[in-house]
Amino acid sequence: MKLHEKELRAVYTDTIIELMTENSNVVCLEADLGKSSGTVPRVREAFPERFFDVGVAEANMMSISAGLANEGMVPFCATFTPFATRRAYDQITISIAYAENPVKIVGTAPGVTTAKNGATHMCFQDLAIMRAMPNMRVYCPADVYELRSMLRYMAASKKPEYMQLIREVQSPIFDESYEFDPYQARVVAEGSDVTLVTTGLTTQLALEAVKSLKQENIHAEHIHYPSVKPFDVETLLDSVKKTNAVVTAENQNVIGGLGGAVCEVLAENYPAKVKRLGVQDRFGEVGDVPYLTETLGFSAAEIARACREMKKAK
Amino acid sequence: MEINKIESKEQLDQLAKEFRYIITDIMCRAGGGHIGGSLSLVEIIISLYFRILNLKPDNPRWEDRDRFILSKGHAGPTLYTALAYKGFFEKDVLLTLNANGTKLPSHVDQVITPGVDQSAGSLGQGLSCANGIALANRLQKRTNNVFCIVGDGESQEGQIWEAAMFAAHHKLDNLVVITDYNKMQIDAEVENIVSLEPLVDKWRAFGWEVFEMNGHDWDEIYDTVNQAIAVKDKPSMIVAHTVKAKGNECYENRIECHFISIPDEDERKRVIGGVCADGDGEPFHFNWTEGKDE
Repeated sequence: MKLHEKELRAVYTDTIIELMTENSNVVCLEADLGKSSGTVPRVREAFPERFFDVGVAEANMMSISAGLANEGMVPFCATFTPFATRRAYDQITISIAYAENPVKIVGTAPGVTTAKNGATHMCFQDLAIMRAMPNMRVYCPADVYELRSMLRYMAASKKPEYMQLIREVQSPIFDESYEFDPYQARVVAEGSDVTLVTTGLTTQLALEAVKSLKQENIHAEHIHYPSVKPFDVETLLDSVKKTNAVVTAENQNVIGGLGGAVCEVLAENYPAKVKRLGVQDRFGEVGDVPYLTETLGFSAAEIARACREMKKAK
Repeated sequence: MEINKIESKEQLDQLAKEFRYIITDIMCRAGGGHIGGSLSLVEIIISLYFRILNLKPDNPRWEDRDRFILSKGHAGPTLYTALAYKGFFEKDVLLTLNANGTKLPSHVDQVITPGVDQSAGSLGQGLSCANGIALANRLQKRTNNVFCIVGDGESQEGQIWEAAMFAAHHKLDNLVVITDYNKMQIDAEVENIVSLEPLVDKWRAFGWEVFEMNGHDWDEIYDTVNQAIAVKDKPSMIVAHTVKAKGNECYENRIECHFISIPDEDERKRVIGGVCADGDGEPFHFNWTEGKDE
């Protein structure tokens, strides 16, 4: 089986086991969603003394992780995105970010990928609220190669970090040689008609959009941001100076996340027209991912349409 | 000057007197502060820092030290005074409490203050952090102990009880927690806001070894903390009965003592006067470094 044929949560688990094997300071925490993250039963069985399931107590998990990190341990703690961010936001802010305790927070099933769990579990604000927190870094890997490299980076970084983890299989975008650098966005496709900025799930969706646009002779420059914070300003500006038109797409509310970051950078450096695709300030609902991306307005077809319109308006 | 262990009661009493003067003085100079919950902890923090904790002030992050987490982070001024007397920094630094650019903020900060093990201030979190620290120290096979002080009002936070369950489940016997049970919180008596009672039974039911002590009695504090340290296979809770704003007669055991404002010189003199009177009526003044005393 090739690596990219695996579910991302399986690669998360594989990589955590590798890291725990290599470094006795790495510890794994869950809040009764280890089966969903993938670490139960494999990490629990491989390292029972360094695996802690805190039960349904996310606030406690964040502050316990802070204490562990304070003592030089490297805690990776995972739960669904709403509980990994908004539920424990003050604990993350004070115990972790303010105190500079380098905890690695993993938010699983981001945005619409929580699908049938519905609105209560469908967090559309984690990128925005985590990005607004000083000392916190915010990552969204798009495939297994990036995920694996990112986890290795996080284990070594000594910084508080938050990472979204899509659980399911994703198409390969990168390969074995990929090395994550939070200061480096990735140009997935070159083009001069419109700059298309995506992260995580929408990077996957944009692959199809870019392909269909090419058939219409529209060349989008597709940039994937594995790190929404820190944000690689140069790559964006270089592209927008060429295209003067921008579309952003995210598996999030359009307020404050990736689209927000792009607009902040452009407004201060190189004003250009931006169309932000994503959730238009509403809550989610139950459904599958194709239904939800279409209903909420950031499917591949919607991304292609926005790029087309942006080019036409130039 | 660094002070290590103190055993004589006369010296401990003298230290407590100086602490109360200093805590009141630096708060008054700063225009106000959390006097009630700082003064209620004077004997407990002195006992920990000068009779119990194993520390190296010249190496604040010494790996084998005992850890101390002040979960009720607003009692920072009492901890800062202990750290200064212990030699983590000069006593005159205490005069910068809450000043612009200070290393001594109202609530404790592990990043900027030498000797502070864990930032705290948003109530309810420090005990969970102490769990993580105790867990890490056990994984690292250290023989140290982890001490944590929580407030009584703070114990209304749900996270305290999440941490209580976790520590007992994991048998964190290197963890000793003290509740500063001064029976008052900001808005009124704890009993009249949301009662904690029966507090001892609650902790026992959560699987902890529970002790009670008079939090102002040197012998009781020393003996009880040492009994708690000796407990095996369980975390320990010491419910310390204390008096809020203890030793400042302007505020002792008064609801308005949680946070005081010092708007002017008259009020400053009045509040300082509250700690100047000795038991026998003799006035007491702490002398800051020569030339800086007022």
